[in-house]
Amino acid sequence: MESEKTIIDKIKEKNIKQKPRWQFVMRKMIIWSMYIICVLIGAISFSIILFSIQQIDFSLVSHMSHSGLEFFLGLLPFFWIIGLLIFLVMGILAFQRSERGYKFTWFRLMCLTTACSILIGTLFFIAGGSQKLETAFASRVNYYESVQQKKMRIWMQPEEGFLSGTIEKVRGDTIKLIDFNNKKWDIDYSDAFIAPILSLENGEQVKLVGHINQENSFYAKEVRPWGGMKNQKKRMGKRKQ
Amino acid sequence: MVVAKEICNELSDNDIVKKSIDNIDYFSCLYDRYESMLLRYIKRITLVDDDQAKDILQEAFIKIWINLKNFNPRMKLSSWIYRIVHNETVSFWRKNKSYGKDRKEKLNENLSIDFSIDSSTTENKEQNDRLTHQVLELLPLKYKSVLVLKFMEDMSYQEISDVLRIPEGTVATRINRAKKKFIETTSEKHISFFN
Repeated sequence: MESEKTIIDKIKEKNIKQKPRWQFVMRKMIIWSMYIICVLIGAISFSIILFSIQQIDFSLVSHMSHSGLEFFLGLLPFFWIIGLLIFLVMGILAFQRSERGYKFTWFRLMCLTTACSILIGTLFFIAGGSQKLETAFASRVNYYESVQQKKMRIWMQPEEGFLSGTIEKVRGDTIKLIDFNNKKWDIDYSDAFIAPILSLENGEQVKLVGHINQENSFYAKEVRPWGGMKNQKKRMGKRKQ
Repeated sequence: MVVAKEICNELSDNDIVKKSIDNIDYFSCLYDRYESMLLRYIKRITLVDDDQAKDILQEAFIKIWINLKNFNPRMKLSSWIYRIVHNETVSFWRKNKSYGKDRKEKLNENLSIDFSIDSSTTENKEQNDRLTHQVLELLPLKYKSVLVLKFMEDMSYQEISDVLRIPEGTVATRINRAKKKFIETTSEKHISFFN
């Protein structure tokens, strides 16, 4: 009886108050908001990773004079991969601080959080949000190299056999091309493989695999649409309409 | 004012929490109901004396009082209370790591002396209990905690999970490892228990 009295007296004497319920509710809301924000940022990162991968022509790795691995690593969106990992970990840490978060193992939490980010990210990518967001991000952040810039860096190496630009004119087996540095080229595509989806028309943006013949002249072995197959299908669809 | 024991006995744990939120006097019911088992638990997982254990329990109950509105009735009140008491005990233990060190060293020595010489002639339950406690003292805190909660406090995996805030699977793994560690320690010290 004495101990109970002591504790009650101590609480009364020191005027120790109970924390109000809203503080606990607020804490829970902050934790869940943090988790949701982390999952969403993870989803955005994942959708941009998907967009970047879509822009890579993996079939062309074999054409590179450097190692394929170097090529692959050069195109990987490390910024977004690291971002995805960081926000996944932050999301897991936030979840663990939730009321029942301790019930889940790290592995289960990792699977759950990753699955949420992948699902939302894929939907965002399908809706076309990733490209817009990535472009907007690139225009606002100085030192960030966008997927398009990265792609241009790879595809503007005529001495390595990669060239890209806009078709100015098509005449017989030759294309007049203006590359993305505004340099004019004569392209010989007489023996080239042309992607079936591509129609060689003025104003069309293309990427070429081949080699330099002489000054301003390029021999093409392959001609592919600049935006990749998926984007090209979209463009063709719009044109038909 | 402390509420009479007869009135407390008629109330469930959740009723006491509800009533305590509005009237502090009912908080005494909670203290009265859990005091003895919590004191025992504190002494089982740390090397504190009665007074220290009471101090730890008082501090823990002040925390319980402060956070009473955070109690989720879907959880067992006993698990929630044990969790706060456990955390308070562990934080006391971390702050005073040197406390009890001498006693632990003594225990260690006594174990070697006692059981290399006398264990073959000792036959009683009290001796077994004493031995168990002494071996437990030599285990790391995380192993000692699960063993005490499981085998002395008779808690289920779910309750232990709620007290220690670890997944139930981890509770099972930790209990297995703790058992192995316990057996290793007993064989290192040449201890044998009597059936």
